[in-house]
Parts: sequence; structure tokens; C-alpha cells
Amino acid sequence: MYDRLWAPHGLVRYGVAPDHPEVKNCTNKFDITAKDPRLRFFGNVNITTPAAASPIPHNLSLPFSSLLKNYTHLLFSSGCTIPTFHPALPPSDRCISALSFVHWYTQHPSVAHKPPPPLEKTEHVSIIGQGNVSLDVARMLLTPPSTLEKYDVPNSVLEVLRRSAVKRVSIIGRRGPLQAAFTVKELREMMNLEDAAMDPVDPALLAVPEGEKLTRQQQRTMQLLQKGSKNQPGTTPKSWSFEFFRSPTHLAPAPEDALSSTRPLSLTLAHTTLSDAKRAVPTGESSTLRTSMVVTALGHHGEPTPWYDSALGHVRTVGGRVVDEHGHTLRNVYASGWAAMGARGVLASTMMDAYAVADTILSDAFPGEFRKEDGDALGSVVPQGDVAKAAEPVLADVVESDDPPAEVEEGLREGVVTDYDGWKLVDAEEVRRGEVTGKERERMGWDEARTFLSQVKSNQ
Amino acid sequence: MLTIFKLYGTGVLHDRNLGQVHFKDSKGNLLKTIEANEGDDLLSIAHEHDIDLEGACEGSVACSTCHVILTPEHYDLLPEPEDDENDMLDMAFGLTDTSRLGCQVQLTRELDGMVATLPSATRNMFVDGKKPTHH
Repeated sequence: MYDRLWAPHGLVRYGVAPDHPEVKNCTNKFDITAKDPRLRFFGNVNITTPAAASPIPHNLSLPFSSLLKNYTHLLFSSGCTIPTFHPALPPSDRCISALSFVHWYTQHPSVAHKPPPPLEKTEHVSIIGQGNVSLDVARMLLTPPSTLEKYDVPNSVLEVLRRSAVKRVSIIGRRGPLQAAFTVKELREMMNLEDAAMDPVDPALLAVPEGEKLTRQQQRTMQLLQKGSKNQPGTTPKSWSFEFFRSPTHLAPAPEDALSSTRPLSLTLAHTTLSDAKRAVPTGESSTLRTSMVVTALGHHGEPTPWYDSALGHVRTVGGRVVDEHGHTLRNVYASGWAAMGARGVLASTMMDAYAVADTILSDAFPGEFRKEDGDALGSVVPQGDVAKAAEPVLADVVESDDPPAEVEEGLREGVVTDYDGWKLVDAEEVRRGEVTGKERERMGWDEARTFLSQVKSNQ
Repeated sequence: MLTIFKLYGTGVLHDRNLGQVHFKDSKGNLLKTIEANEGDDLLSIAHEHDIDLEGACEGSVACSTCHVILTPEHYDLLPEPEDDENDMLDMAFGLTDTSRLGCQVQLTRELDGMVATLPSATRNMFVDGKKPTHH
């Protein structure tokens, strides 16, 4: 398992919000799997193709061709790491992707030496997008730091949050409550914020259209929106709102305050309505919103790895097997999770897909040898015989050694490449440091972790 | 004195064992019948007896992977799910009117004979005759 992050577990460590620690219980299962001597984890290794440079400067670069020579099977489970930007809102120091904000509060290696968001100069934040990532960002901005300090929030992040001037958050989406992508759990957490109240939603927007049948999730969403926040509007120091049927068209300095030290911004929002096909279409009206910072949370797409399809936003697959641009299936090349499906779905659905692809890999390699408990032959979603044509093999048929490429072995010796045992030592140390201040853990960055591990090694 | 002691002894043993739970796969095939004890929840006993029921968040109502479908008469005997369980059930695969999270179903005597069916997206596989060890 190769990862450009020096610590394993991907989004569980660098994406899950710090106040959702129970979600991270799945790492106990990962630890058990990692004990199997057949699994080796190599962290801080970026697999490169000529096109792309790593977003993490201290990675060991390993050419993709090295993998093809050293392994008989390949699986992409590399997720969707590139945020989708809004065409009308180019990134700037005041218009950032939600991903970079999440990377800041989880101290992702790609932002380690970048300045934090200037929250001490920020009163109003506009979040574009209405999925769970939007609500995570809003919740981190509106939860008192004193509540957050027992969780896995790095000290440097807590310091910035304690200086934050944010009083108000607007969560903007181009369609209505029935099309919002957030889930009820996260919505409920927003309603229960201690120091903040929600502006009531216009009752006209909560009326269910004639003849429309709601899913269970939609019904429960509408009920919650109707009920409103635990705190009554006007009774709390902070507030937030949903702005439905609004689509940003322009962001500029607010003209009347161009010289103000807080440099307020003016966000122009086109008003929208739903077409018959339930797409957002402009009504012709617009309004402006005064804000200090814009955060775009509009989903993600994959990186341009081999067999990536830019129209799809992920690697091209059929039933977990990777397919080239001519529709030919590559032998022994697979993709699972967001890398294969796009950036949709929570842990449970990604896990189910991982199991399905594992079933496919096994049944391709050992046809007919596995059976399900109910007696059916284990099959892949798409039986291999149905596949139209196979492409030329890209991987080695047989590989003599179980060892990784030489540069990875050397990287391990030099401490540039991490392994799972090294991670567990760092893990224990992070927890130990957290205990000192009564928090879940105190995270280390790469420099600290590398220094710590070399000290442990030299003490042995 | 002897009689009282013997009755007490029998009473303690009888209280601990609450009856049977039958786990079935999505096609209705019986996987295993388990004797349930006081304080057991469906996820814990599934794991104890090698039933392939996931529990990614280890019973903390932060995922939907221990989703099971219960027989209607037993479902009705259980207390209503709390908001947090319902929020997770929203996202479960193959949700039904008698679905619950296994980690939230506490076993009592009146649930004797309950059938817990694993939803269709759950995978069960083994190499001819040999079951993978369940951790």
C-alpha cells in the first residue's frame, strides 16, 4: 500500500471532522488488518507520472513504471483529491476551497508551511455548497474553541480559532432544501450549536411541491428545518443561515469600504428556480451579500492518473476493473472507492465497494474457488466473460521478489519512507502528548514525526 | 433450606439466558441460531459467533454498517429508535420498515425467537469449507 501521506488512514485522519471521533473507530480494524505480514504500508511515497508534481514537497517520488515492473496486480484507491472550483469564483486569499480549510484544521502535509486562514479579520463567511463538507466547515467556525479543545484539533489551529472574529455564516446553494446534499445528522448538529442560532427558513421554501414523494431523508430534513435551531434567533452571539436558490456570479471588494482594514467583500448572487428537470435556472434577479471570506465546497474529482477520465472525474472502470479509453479492460488493474466512483458516499458505501472489488480481484485470480455461504459462486458485479475486449497487459505476469522497488527500501532505511510499525509509534506518542492537556491526541507534522522516529531508532 | 437454595440456583441460570436469536442471510438462509444472554446487543453477539456483520464505528452510532432487518412482531416490541440511530438508518442500504442498527438492539426475554436478517449488500464468502477468522 503506497500513500503520499506519511500517516495511513487517509481521510479518516485528514478529512473527518475533529468533533466526530467515533467515526475514527474504524482504524482499530485497519490496525488488525495491518498486522498481517502479507500487507506492507509505505508512507510519504508519491507515485508519479510525467505530468504531475506532488502537492507535498517532502515526498519520495516513485515513477509509475516502477510499480508496473514490481507488481502483478494494481489497485487505485486514491480517492478524489482535487477540489472542484466555481467558475465565477477564482481562488484567492479570501476565496478558498473547503478542502484547504479542512486540510488546515487537520494539518494535512500539503498545508504544513502555509499561513492559516485569516479568521481574526473575518466576521462573515459565505460557504458555497450545501453538502456535509459545508456543514463541517460551518460547525468548526461556529463551535466555541473551549468545546473543541478536548478533540483532535492541533494547538496551532485552536489558537487561530480562539482569535476568530467570525460571527455569521451563510450556507449558499443554487437549489432548494429537497436537493441539498447534507445528511440529517450533520443538519441536527448545526441546529444544536451552543452559541449560534439559525435564521428561520422562508416557509414558502419548506412547502412540498404538489405530488412530490419525499425520501425518508428528505422528510426528516424538512421537519428539522421547520423546527429550527435549539437557540432562538437573536438570543446568541453568533448566527447562521441557509441561502437557498442562490448562485454566485461575482466576488469583488465592497465599493463603499474599499479602504477599510477588514476589506469587506461583496458577493453577487443570481436568484434561481428549478426547471422541470430539477436543474437550477436563473430567474433574472440578483442580490449582493456583504461578506469577509468565501469558502467553496462543491465536491472533488480525481487526479490525472493513468486511465483517468476527465469527463467522469475519476478512473474509468466497469465492475471495479479499469478500462482504457477504447473500452478495453486492463488485466489485473482495478479501482475502488472514490477513485472509481467519484467523490460521493460516506464510509459505509465506500467500504461496501471495497469489499466488492476485493471479491472481483479474488474471483479473477482464482476462478471458481470461492463460494458464498449460501452456495452461490462468488462473482464479480460484471462477470469477466462479458467483457468485450482485453487491452495489452501493462503489469508483469510474474514477479520474482516480494520486495518493493530499491528506492523504497532505501527510503525506509533513511527514514524518508514510513511503515505501519513506525506509524504506531507516532500514534502512541501523539496520544501521550494529548494526555498532557486532556485532549484526544496532539498531532505531529512530518518534521516532528521524522525526528521522533529517528530518535527512537537511535535509542534502540 | 436445600429447596430454597436449589430454586435460587435455577432462577439465576434461567435469568441469564434469554432465548434464541436466528441470523439469516439476505436470501433467508439460516446462518446461525444463537443463545442470547442478558445485556447482549445484536452486534456483539454477531461478532462473538462469527456472523459477518460489520461494525465500523464499534457501536457508537456513527455509521450504518451493522444494519439488520428484524421480524415485524419483534421490531414492534422494541423501543423506538432515538434521533441519532434514525439519522444513521437514513443512509443504510436496503432500508426497510423493520430495520434497526444491530448495536442498538438490546436483547430481552420477550425477543426470544427473533430473526435478524442481514441486508442484501452484506458480503459473506469463504474458501471451500474454510471460514476466514473473524476479528
